Amino acid sequence: MEKTEATTIEISESSRERKGKAPLLAAAVAHDRAASGYKRGVAIFDLILRISAATAALAATITMGTTEQTLPFFTQFFQFQASYDDLPTFTFFVIAMAIVTGYLVLSVPFSIVCIVRPVAAGPRLLLILCDTLTVTLATSAAGASAAIVYLAHNGNSDANWLAICQQFNDFCQRTSGAVVAAFVAAVLLIFLVVLSAVALKRR
Amino acid sequence: MAGLELGAKDSGSAESRVHRGVAVLDFILRLVALIATLASAIAMGTTDESLPFFTQFIRFRAKYNDLPTFTFFVVANSIVSAYLVLSLALSIFHIIRSGAQSSRVVLIFFDTGMLALLTAGASAAAAIVYLAHKGNTRTNWFAICQQFNSFCERISGSLIGSFGGIIVFILLILMSAVTLSRRH
Repeated sequence: MEKTEATTIEISESSRERKGKAPLLAAAVAHDRAASGYKRGVAIFDLILRISAATAALAATITMGTTEQTLPFFTQFFQFQASYDDLPTFTFFVIAMAIVTGYLVLSVPFSIVCIVRPVAAGPRLLLILCDTLTVTLATSAAGASAAIVYLAHNGNSDANWLAICQQFNDFCQRTSGAVVAAFVAAVLLIFLVVLSAVALKRR
Repeated sequence: MAGLELGAKDSGSAESRVHRGVAVLDFILRLVALIATLASAIAMGTTDESLPFFTQFIRFRAKYNDLPTFTFFVVANSIVSAYLVLSLALSIFHIIRSGAQSSRVVLIFFDTGMLALLTAGASAAAAIVYLAHKGNTRTNWFAICQQFNSFCERISGSLIGSFGGIIVFILLILMSAVTLSRRH
């Protein structure tokens, strides 16, 4: 008898508690679902930006890697030829943008994991770390090549460096286009880092 | 229930202690980056070498603003130094208020932008320094370092502070991201 009384009291208390906690629990569950909903949206946008950045980086690599211009005149001893590997900075550009493209393609599965599990912090932290390093690499390649392209366009009278673009027009246009594509990829990567940071917020 | 609440509070204060320690480390790293980028800007900006010989018409002189890339390097490092001074205030706010989240996201946004600016300036200057050291036979660009020795040493040394600043920025962004994700 006492046992059943004690049990009845417990049940009624806990049912009252349950009724009291129910709106809080429901609110928490709804909040979690809303949070995971908006994080899933952020993760989908992240995937789209990642694919765009990979396209831009690939375009930069291919454009710079296939520049080669041979001038239509030549002397008895050599032909006037300009290729991307005449300048070590452009070689560094091609290698660096190839690494950036490869990383972006390989990080698409991690981005998909973030879409499937929006609240998990582990993959997002890994993505933000690697994206920051990739921002550095892409900006470094783009900045160094931009300096050389600027020099090729304008030359420098103080250092006695001739502006080679006056002769190699097509070469200069292609390298300038590659540098622009690399900067586009770098800006998209910056957006990706900020997006991952926004998605890491707990509330 | 009361026991659970107490337990939550305990872990909460341990959390905030860890966040406070990370925020103090963030402040110190920001100071280090400020000194590095300021030193780079000053080292590059005060380059001036005149060769001891001259002809009747021209004087052989090398300054940082003879090359527009170096001007961009000095400007970029100055902008990043000024930003670091301003962000020290936000860093102190994070030490006091360890739970702030939106301000950390804003800090990450600006940190990433400044990282990109710093990297672009440093790598552009590095490309020109490499060219000044080695020259390029295909484009007929002469290695000016063979004449301007002290100028070359100065510009090469000023790159070190800038690259150190880049590494510190990467650490700062990573620390802010980890602090953001660890909030319970």
